[in-house]
Amino acid sequence: MEYSVGSIAPIFLAPVLAFVINAFFGRRLPRNGDWVAVLGVFISFIFSARIFGDFVFGKFATDYYIHKTFTWLDLSYMDQVWKFDLGIYIDNMAAIMLLMVSGVATLIHLFSTWYMDHDPRHGRFFTFLPLFTSAMLGLVLSDNLLALFMFWEVMGFCSYSLIGIYYEKEEAGDASIKAFMTTRVGDVFLLLGIVAIYMVIGSVTYTDIYAAIAEGKFAGQSVLGIGLATFTGFCLFLGAMGKSAQFPLHVWLPDAMMGPTPGSALIHAATMVAAGVYLSLRMYPLMVAGDLTAFIAIIGAITAFGAATIALVQTDIKAVLAFSTISQLGYMMIGVGVGSYNAAFMHLITHAVFKACLFLSAGSVIHSIHEQQMPKMGGLRKKLPYTFIAMFCCSLAIAGVPFFSGFVSKDRILGDALYWGFMAGQNPMLAIVPILGFAGAFLTAFYMFRMIFLTFFGTPRDQHIYDHAHQEHLSFTSNVPLLILTVFTLGFWYAGSLTGQGIVNVMGAKTEWFKILVEAPQVEKFVGSEAKKTPFIEPTTYTETLPVAVLDGQTGYAGPNPDEHKIHSAHVIGAVASIIIALTGIFLAFLMYVKGAIKPLAPKFPGYVRTLQNRYYFDKVYQDIVIKKGLLGLNRLLAWFDMGIYDRFAVDGWAKVNRVLFRIAKWFDNVVIDAVGVDGAGVAVNLFNLVLRIVQSGKIQFYFIMLIVVLCSYIWTLNF
Amino acid sequence: MISLASYLVISLILFVAGITVMVARKNLVAILLGVELVLNAAALNFVAYSRYLANNLDGHIFSLFIIVIAASEAAVGLAIVIRFFQIKDTIHVDEATQLRN
Repeated sequence: MEYSVGSIAPIFLAPVLAFVINAFFGRRLPRNGDWVAVLGVFISFIFSARIFGDFVFGKFATDYYIHKTFTWLDLSYMDQVWKFDLGIYIDNMAAIMLLMVSGVATLIHLFSTWYMDHDPRHGRFFTFLPLFTSAMLGLVLSDNLLALFMFWEVMGFCSYSLIGIYYEKEEAGDASIKAFMTTRVGDVFLLLGIVAIYMVIGSVTYTDIYAAIAEGKFAGQSVLGIGLATFTGFCLFLGAMGKSAQFPLHVWLPDAMMGPTPGSALIHAATMVAAGVYLSLRMYPLMVAGDLTAFIAIIGAITAFGAATIALVQTDIKAVLAFSTISQLGYMMIGVGVGSYNAAFMHLITHAVFKACLFLSAGSVIHSIHEQQMPKMGGLRKKLPYTFIAMFCCSLAIAGVPFFSGFVSKDRILGDALYWGFMAGQNPMLAIVPILGFAGAFLTAFYMFRMIFLTFFGTPRDQHIYDHAHQEHLSFTSNVPLLILTVFTLGFWYAGSLTGQGIVNVMGAKTEWFKILVEAPQVEKFVGSEAKKTPFIEPTTYTETLPVAVLDGQTGYAGPNPDEHKIHSAHVIGAVASIIIALTGIFLAFLMYVKGAIKPLAPKFPGYVRTLQNRYYFDKVYQDIVIKKGLLGLNRLLAWFDMGIYDRFAVDGWAKVNRVLFRIAKWFDNVVIDAVGVDGAGVAVNLFNLVLRIVQSGKIQFYFIMLIVVLCSYIWTLNF
Repeated sequence: MISLASYLVISLILFVAGITVMVARKNLVAILLGVELVLNAAALNFVAYSRYLANNLDGHIFSLFIIVIAASEAAVGLAIVIRFFQIKDTIHVDEATQLRN
């Protein structure tokens, strides 16, 4: 068997082609070419599924990967070699990621054909959606940080375009600029980190970076007095913070809801925010080498808890989901920080599925009642039965109820955090991470079910809106995508068992394919990995081997760990605690918003609620202090420098010099070239013509006379 | 005995007369006649030199050639004149200006 480029490249190229077709011919196609976009993404889904099947269902050893490169830039001269390679790198993680991205994106595209129907920006939307998807797929496929950065920026641009798609609304324009500029803060550091890595090891390919870490090339070097691994890891993590909306760069994500809801679904689930976590996971060995894990865990914990508190008081259905996204991304970062690598990745996947479903469900609700404010909803269960089922299951998943995917992934993260914070002998202050994590989990269960109860239960609070809501019928584009995603919120797809992580461990981890397949890169294995690179156009051959780890019944992920017992008990405690916490949260929401047995606590803490409603004043602080006090002054200084110094002296001065030069040139032109050269030639020709005109009379007898005269003078000359 | 000089003088008179006709007359046919006179002057010179200086028949042969050439020249020249007359309705040489400009 072999892998050729033809079986990998369509994953990336099919959506790109859809983008090109829609960008240039979309308006002339029927339905503005939305079917082209769906088709393009679906093709990439099919090719991803093949790779996923090969990688997951045991064709390869667990550490197998495909690495194909081609020379992108060759500036070699004589014997000095300077080349830059780009390529494809697929391991288990990338294979799973490809299937998730293309699958979720296909369903989102399908849903969008219904949601965006008759929208004035229909064609524009379906131009950027496949480009967005292709950028994410390219990011997952790429084998180095530079290509990752390029796709990263393409995604930044696409999110900018999708958020600001209704650009005539001022908030939408502002939100798109905010999203772009906030992520840009992280991107600058990301680029800095990439450059720093390139300066040290001369390559930004993942395998080379892993090998360099294993060989200790990062050790003993420092930048600005900071250890090199710490510096580069920190820069890369700042990039990930910007993209994955981590505190304090989270402010763009809530505003990103200005775009159409399916666009938000794509940004919040499969693509944009996943990219940051994906980068952190890919560069996990660097984070470990730079001792950044505690920092990452703390940032994640603050984000997870803070965003959950803000979500408590939001009334806009999409705002609740946006803050829950930030909160869940915080959990993923906790997972990266506490070293539960595969749980963080698993949460990325499960979150992508249920968050896409939640956003699409919200889109379905908004589309049918044309209202986003939850206080005006209520009782929609009967009008929107399928949307209700989807949203309810996803809320169970995100809240971490057993049998659903969120329980499997989030509670593994929390269990690892519990062990890491309390039992691993760390600084006791770090116990704050699991505490904030569990508190956030409680709040998550509460606010998600607050949303469910306010939207779907009780009596309609606005009878007019309720009466005008369309009754939902089963349709291939509007709610089948939701139901498909709902099926994949069940836990057993991920855990390999219906019960989820905490109890599965008791039954043996053999069936948990995530644990077997996804593990933190063992950097030592990559030393001398040059041999595994294959040229881009040559097929990669492989022999079918069953994963040894599975045959032997070993888990293959952790190895013998002396603290296995402690980890295990931490997981059991964590699982039990989070089941209790989730159910308590749901029950509390039920009491408050359905039964009315407990009055909402909001009126008792007006000051805190106001703080929450203002989102901890982050926007205000950035606007008033960072931008107005700091950046505006800097901008004025730069503007003064630009206008006063640079423009006045450099640009205008250069203009003056040029004016003098041109005056000289003009004189030279007029006098020397024009008068002497051009006109002189004309005068000379004129004079010559005067003579010639006399001689060339055209009278034949005149020629005879000339002939005789010449002849006579010739003879006369000869005689003397 | 008629001397060589006598022949040459006659030849010269013929030549000058021919040239004068060619230059002075405006009639194309007259110009052709002038050309004939010049050719005959040349032929007379050939025969005279051949007889008095070389004493062989080379000059005679040349003069025969000249007569043939003169005949064909007259034929072609007259054909041109007739064609010219058909176009311009005159044989005045100053009217032959179509190659100018």
